[in-house]
Amino acid sequence: MKQTPVLEGAFVSDPEPALVGSKCRSCDTVAFPASFTCPNPRCARKDVVSTPLSRTGRLASWTTVHFPPPPPFVAPDPFEPITVVEVEFASEGIQVVGPLAGASAEGLRMGMAMETVVEPYYSDDSGEVIGWKFRPAEGDAGE
Amino acid sequence: MPVSDVIVAGVGLHPWGKFPEKSWVEMGAEVAMGAVADAGMEWTDVEAMVSGAMQWGGSTGMRSGNTIAAALGETGVPIANINNACASGGSLMRAAYAMITSGMHDSVLVIGTDKSPKGYFPSVPVLADEPRPPVDMVRWQVGVPNPAYWALEMRKRMEAYGSTDEHLAQVKVKNSRHGSLNPYARYRKAFTLEQVMASPMVCDPLRLLEICATSDGAAAVVLVSDKKARRLGVSPLVKVAACSLASGEFGDPTIRIPLLAAASDGAATAPLLSESRLAAQMAYEQAGLGPEDMDFVELPDNSSWHELQYLETMGFCDPGEAEKLLDAGETALGGRLPVCPSGGFSSFGEATMAQGILQIVEVTWQLRGTAGARQVEGATKAITEVYGAQANNSACILTT
Ligand SMILES: [Zn+2]
Repeated sequence: MKQTPVLEGAFVSDPEPALVGSKCRSCDTVAFPASFTCPNPRCARKDVVSTPLSRTGRLASWTTVHFPPPPPFVAPDPFEPITVVEVEFASEGIQVVGPLAGASAEGLRMGMAMETVVEPYYSDDSGEVIGWKFRPAEGDAGE
Repeated sequence: MPVSDVIVAGVGLHPWGKFPEKSWVEMGAEVAMGAVADAGMEWTDVEAMVSGAMQWGGSTGMRSGNTIAAALGETGVPIANINNACASGGSLMRAAYAMITSGMHDSVLVIGTDKSPKGYFPSVPVLADEPRPPVDMVRWQVGVPNPAYWALEMRKRMEAYGSTDEHLAQVKVKNSRHGSLNPYARYRKAFTLEQVMASPMVCDPLRLLEICATSDGAAAVVLVSDKKARRLGVSPLVKVAACSLASGEFGDPTIRIPLLAAASDGAATAPLLSESRLAAQMAYEQAGLGPEDMDFVELPDNSSWHELQYLETMGFCDPGEAEKLLDAGETALGGRLPVCPSGGFSSFGEATMAQGILQIVEVTWQLRGTAGARQVEGATKAITEVYGAQANNSACILTT
């Protein structure tokens, strides 16, 4: 089946799934999705390169969406509530939202380790749309 | 230094709700003429107009001011159409305020009229030949409706301060009681705690009754110079003592609608809702007044989370203290600092172009002492603040 990324260049699957952002070589600011420039207003050099984010971060918050969002969200019928999580990548100084994978909201707790995975969002006649999700990391003890 | 004070000479408000039989043009024309008449002026006396650029109205909606002027009779005055999301009303006020303080004009008509889609606000279509999909498309594919952004912040608040589901519900109970006293409000039912807690979960912990609906609504005000106000015999003189506008600061940890990331809480170099904190600070500074001087506040209660957070963002209490003000009844009518005596967006719903102007209309009525059953006794000073997607905010302080 043909696979299309939800946002070209925002993540990689190989060698391991990870988000891809941009990093300024002058001031270390990381942006996601990647930007063509550096968003730090006090940075004059604005010298950005593509950078993979850490594979694992910490759960900063979550919410379960109980009503189907409108298009372009593709809602299964019948709609099952989806959980959106916010994951903090401390070494990059950034937090990112994405769908929860491999767990239900009941099992979540603040601060638990979450890892990035790449999974299908939905499929239609033209194939599968894939994107990033976050799932509780193997063997997480929550720190 | 400003060459003139800015006075609210006239206000006009349309009831809020769903009006499938009525065009936003008619609603806008009605409030415009209402505000002009309330000011004791004629349509042909208006020197300039600013109007909300209403995206749901297509290309004529984006030029709503010209559309309304064409309906009521074109007079050749300057017209600016502005869109700053839910902060549009405040941004329009700021533009009109600047035209008068600078001495450019003696009267400016400010109009917000809006018909909203039902349910979640959808994304606005974009050109197909952009190289990458805009983030507003991607966030919908990820599945993040606007209330989900607020829910993510609310869960953090619960974790940090021990706020409860009951606190969220009590905000609605209070605002619905206020709204039940306002004939212009869309929802005039006073809800009980049990009824709010029984409403469906939308984005947990936020329930349906704890998130404002999307409404049709319209509001207008006429701002004039002090010279013009004297000529019109405006009394009492409701003065716009401050009108600020601010945008976000780099390093703010708020994940902005419709973005997908922000500085992490640990790495943040700016406060949550930095634009809102800045707008309030700028307004206090401009007016030479502080939060302790305010008799009441109309804040952006887009959700129960907003009401709790904005009490802190606007300087009324320390972080984690908003729930205590609520519990003590201080934010209810009759309390020390009534919050949203109009009933707020919780009772009116959101009409993004008009909601900031709705707040100015309410404060004007309150300061004139004509707010009826919801009157804040003896009120002479109040602050309004809106909350706009993608980090826009405006605050106004009105005094009499
Ligand atoms: Zn930089």
